[in-house]
Amino acid sequence: MESSDEENVEKRRVHLRLDTLRSATPATLHLLPCDIPVNRPAPVGSFFTPAIRQGPEGLEVSFRGRSLRGEEVEVPPGLVGYVMRMEEKEEVVGKQDFSQGSDNDEQEQELLEPPEAALERDFDRVIRASGSFSHFTVWGLETRPGPDAKVHAALTWPSLAAAIHAQVPGD
Amino acid sequence: MAGRVEYGEGTDAQQLVFLLPECLKDASKMMKTGLMFVKLVNPCSGEGALYLFNMCLQQLFEIKIFKEKHHSWFINQSVQSGGLLYFATPMDPLFLLLHYFIKADKEGKFQPLDQVVVDDMFPNCILLLKLPELEKLLQHVTEEKEIDKKKYYKYSKEKTLKWLGKKVNQTVAALKTNNVNVGARVQSNAFFSSPQISSDKEENYICYAHGLVSDYIPKELNDDLSKYLKLPEPSASLPKPPSKKNSKMTTAQKALAKVDKTGMKSIDSFFGTKFFEKVGKI
Repeated sequence: MESSDEENVEKRRVHLRLDTLRSATPATLHLLPCDIPVNRPAPVGSFFTPAIRQGPEGLEVSFRGRSLRGEEVEVPPGLVGYVMRMEEKEEVVGKQDFSQGSDNDEQEQELLEPPEAALERDFDRVIRASGSFSHFTVWGLETRPGPDAKVHAALTWPSLAAAIHAQVPGD
Repeated sequence: MAGRVEYGEGTDAQQLVFLLPECLKDASKMMKTGLMFVKLVNPCSGEGALYLFNMCLQQLFEIKIFKEKHHSWFINQSVQSGGLLYFATPMDPLFLLLHYFIKADKEGKFQPLDQVVVDDMFPNCILLLKLPELEKLLQHVTEEKEIDKKKYYKYSKEKTLKWLGKKVNQTVAALKTNNVNVGARVQSNAFFSSPQISSDKEENYICYAHGLVSDYIPKELNDDLSKYLKLPEPSASLPKPPSKKNSKMTTAQKALAKVDKTGMKSIDSFFGTKFFEKVGKI
């Protein structure tokens, strides 16, 4: 019994392949002010990237006929950005065959999940870094996201977290 | 099926956008494995939360997720819905240990550590026992006895409040260095409000810092901490957030403003609302 308990505990872990943190190739990221409800390859380099212009108020582009204004955002010092993917397992590849023809259902289900479920669903699996980044572009609809954008507030979090969780001096 | 791989960039598998501490990249030179995501208790709510655990260097990181409505990523030649941004930041394991010590305190006796940190729901809590210098950490929140060279511990509220007071103080210092506007109430709409009400009264900083620290301790202890810090009763000074804070709000922001935020925790102000609502329901 003892050993099977230990095994159960192991199954509740997602292992991060450390070597991929060094081998990850630079990735280009854009945070868009709209939700595209799919996860799939897209010809970003054919339609989006070539249309980006440097305007008087920062970067300009359009998406689906709407005008976007953007700005570069740096990853806070002391942090590195990574794009991570779960490593494929045999059974997952098998499952994908069933999804044919019911794509929409499957995707909607995925969107209803809380974000942490993405990690939990695949417990006892391996996750790897596929790309790294030190900055990304944040886009706003018609106006620049500006300093009040919530993403900026989120990016101050690591420095506050460091203070909250730093060891306190003893007596 | 064939259409999916036409662009050559992987499949439609989910991609997660993470911000990780740089030290993990450096650590990857020395070790090949030992970094993993585990589910452990959230010391404030008692529910589950995700953490990143470094087995080799014995470090604990908490995972926070930034989520705002109507966002998605372009990642190289692919689209990723949701626009989530995952943060891994160092976590003081003492907050988690404290959760177990407060629970064990109902028995009111000195106990060895491995009898305190026990959890059927989150069996990975045994990882906490592997952390270095645990004995030194525990001095901040427990009384200890040594019998036959084995250590026994008991929760001490007095010591804990003193420790939390120091936590609040060092958070106040960080708020000042980072120029965080503490004039407004700590709520998600604090970041929508205009900076003109900026006030650098010390009490505001302490209130704000207390709000941040309170997300790591149970509610009962939080009330004691308020008294310890001599803060005004929180409910008395809490103005109801106006439904329309800013005329420049987008449709998405208006939708967010309608959400009932009364029970929200302060750290939510750094992240989206949706994720935390969902967690609350689990």
